[in-house]
Amino acid sequence: MKAALLSLPTQVGVAALAIAQQTGGIAIMAAQILRRLLPPKIDRVEFFRNMYRMGVQSLPIVIATAFFTGGIMVIQAAPIVQSFNATHFVGWAALFTTFREIGPLLIALMFNGRVGANNTAELGTMVVTEQIDALRALAIDPITYLVVPRALSMAITMTALVILGDFFAIFGAIVTADVMLDFPPASFMNHGLPMVEFWDFQVGVIKAAFFGVMIGLASCYFGLATTGGAPGVGRAVNRSVVASASGIFITDYLSTFVLA
Amino acid sequence: MIRVEDIHLSFKSPVLRGVSFEVQEGEIYALIGPGASGKSVLLKTIAGLLRPARGHVWIGDVEVTASDELQMMELRKKIGMLFQNYALFDKTVGENIAFPLERLFDMPEDEIRERVAERLAAVALPGIEDRIPASLSGGQKKRVGVARATIARAPVVLYDEPTAGLDPVTSQKIYNLIRDEQRAQKSTAIVISSDVAGVLTIADRVGMLLNGRLIFEGTVEEARASKHPAVEQFVHGKTEGPL
Amino acid sequence: MATTATESKELMQGADEAEEPKSQGALAFYREEVADLVRMIARTFYYVFRGKREKGAFTRQCFAIGNQSMFFMAVTMGFIGAIVLYQMCMQAKRIIPDLTMIGGMYLKLLLRELGPSVGAMPLATRVGAGIAAEIGSMVVTEQTDALRMSGADPVDYLVVPRVLAATLMCTVVLVLGAGFAYFAGMLVAVNSFELNVHSFINLSDVTWRDVTLGLIKCVFYGCAIALVSCHRGLRTFGGSEGVGVATTQAVVGSLFCVIILNFILSAIGHIVLPP
Repeated sequence: MKAALLSLPTQVGVAALAIAQQTGGIAIMAAQILRRLLPPKIDRVEFFRNMYRMGVQSLPIVIATAFFTGGIMVIQAAPIVQSFNATHFVGWAALFTTFREIGPLLIALMFNGRVGANNTAELGTMVVTEQIDALRALAIDPITYLVVPRALSMAITMTALVILGDFFAIFGAIVTADVMLDFPPASFMNHGLPMVEFWDFQVGVIKAAFFGVMIGLASCYFGLATTGGAPGVGRAVNRSVVASASGIFITDYLSTFVLA
Repeated sequence: MIRVEDIHLSFKSPVLRGVSFEVQEGEIYALIGPGASGKSVLLKTIAGLLRPARGHVWIGDVEVTASDELQMMELRKKIGMLFQNYALFDKTVGENIAFPLERLFDMPEDEIRERVAERLAAVALPGIEDRIPASLSGGQKKRVGVARATIARAPVVLYDEPTAGLDPVTSQKIYNLIRDEQRAQKSTAIVISSDVAGVLTIADRVGMLLNGRLIFEGTVEEARASKHPAVEQFVHGKTEGPL
Repeated sequence: MATTATESKELMQGADEAEEPKSQGALAFYREEVADLVRMIARTFYYVFRGKREKGAFTRQCFAIGNQSMFFMAVTMGFIGAIVLYQMCMQAKRIIPDLTMIGGMYLKLLLRELGPSVGAMPLATRVGAGIAAEIGSMVVTEQTDALRMSGADPVDYLVVPRVLAATLMCTVVLVLGAGFAYFAGMLVAVNSFELNVHSFINLSDVTWRDVTLGLIKCVFYGCAIALVSCHRGLRTFGGSEGVGVATTQAVVGSLFCVIILNFILSAIGHIVLPP
């Protein structure tokens, strides 16, 4: 609410510096994580605990999201395929976009909002209550103990969630096609589904992995970089969610052209 | 003036377990007790900010616990409150202090400005209307909070830890401020404080909360002379005892 | 002393405990929160008509929301536009070799679906997190209590200006975002698929129904994002970690509302405002 009265060039400059600092910080963290993965030095207990928590936390929201997304895509594709008199393509039209683009994107955004933000809040609170310092004093490396398990879990869980989501998207698409277009499920399964290439599905899964890594890196970075006490945690979560969202879209853009 | 009857309130576990007491008109009532015994929660319940699971609160002849939010707005014209962490808004000092007047009453702007200036003078911070809270020290922020709590000349004022985190000299100044205000307005005040020695210098009566129950109530002399082990330990700041 | 310590821990770290009972009574928790959201929505509408106007609050919120999200949305929608156009062309080439229709189809899709709904996702993330974090911090520092004691119902003072501003500004931002997506898509069409700019800019496929549906969606999304995020902010509980939790729930809740509204509005639009 305090309007910045800085001139435009100053604002752009400040923003650019901030982005540079954050990108650099995330890159450094990525390097630190990689160093601890070869050879693999992972805290097993923390890893499995995070896998379980992140997976379970996200399950209901991802299932619901995927189901509705399948349905929405059918509604969107319907007029297009109908105008080409190719109604039996509705399954393909709806699903390839879902598998390749919308599915991973939406699930990544949901995951970012749910697990990513939560992660930043947890790590941020640990910083603010000096628990990170306490870990270091006990000769426990925070990156090994906290960051690596979480980042890894997020990458793996994201991939699993998108795979699961794709199945529920198919389900949502079938139901919507039946109810809204009177398109029988049997027809959908026989005609619509086989037209979707396995490669479309794979592209989505690969993207999911990238997104998971992105969200993992960003949420851990912003969590550990929290400053400023209790309100600082809120700010860190805010920044983390937005930075991850930007990262997701940029990664999506880059991978679209690479994974044609 | 203020009547509290059998208040029960829980968050994840019971915080207040059947608290009852009365505050007479025109007196300063000190509410003391160890950390997390429920003092702030009790004060907020009296202010109508929290709703108890059971029990009643009366301020004057209005039952707080039976009023909805809109009815409470009427009642809040008569209550001022100072919060533990100042709770100052993201505005200037002057705007902060004037806020209750602007929202609760239809007062002309120059009258509001006069009152704000008068309040700031009363808390020994004249002329800082245009500063922002972030530029003030803890003691100054507390005093701004007192100014805001007393700007409407409310008959009931509630103070939650007015001296927490302040040095002894500033603390005593704030207590004296509270007492002078109360005498000038003939208002009724409840003061929560962990600084037992300090608050007892201005209180008329004292109540002590322990684990969500009021284990003692009486005058300041009675509190100092009490033989109840918890009260005696707490009032005199001893390390040995049940606490 | 043990009892007091436990109680003090529970009071200070309410958010910590919040995880345990939540998993047991998850359905009851959601039911209660949704009921409270409905109550808040009712009070918001009441105050829109009968509330006390705070000078300049609406304008300030418009400025804040617009400022906050415009650059982010411009970049994001640019990327999305490029991606979608690219995908459309790649897949269309498999059935029809002639891509001259793409421009018109793309614009239609942009107006009805991409611009509002896909654009609402990053917007919900940005605006939702911002609102929830701001209001949540106010709750945690007792400012919302102070507002109530000063005669300002937080729903009147905080929520109303934000909901009105978001409804307006989200629509503006989404429309502008759609513009960025269109130009980005056009760039990809011209550069990667050798399409002609003139044949790309094809308005013949587009009807007033598409524009209306798109605008209706934008208005609903902006309103929903603000309502959900304000509610989450006001229901913050438990100190600094509580603000983080509230931000999380605001983003997820807003996204989910956008998805559900999209489904409903698209279905209705399919029937009432056919493409």
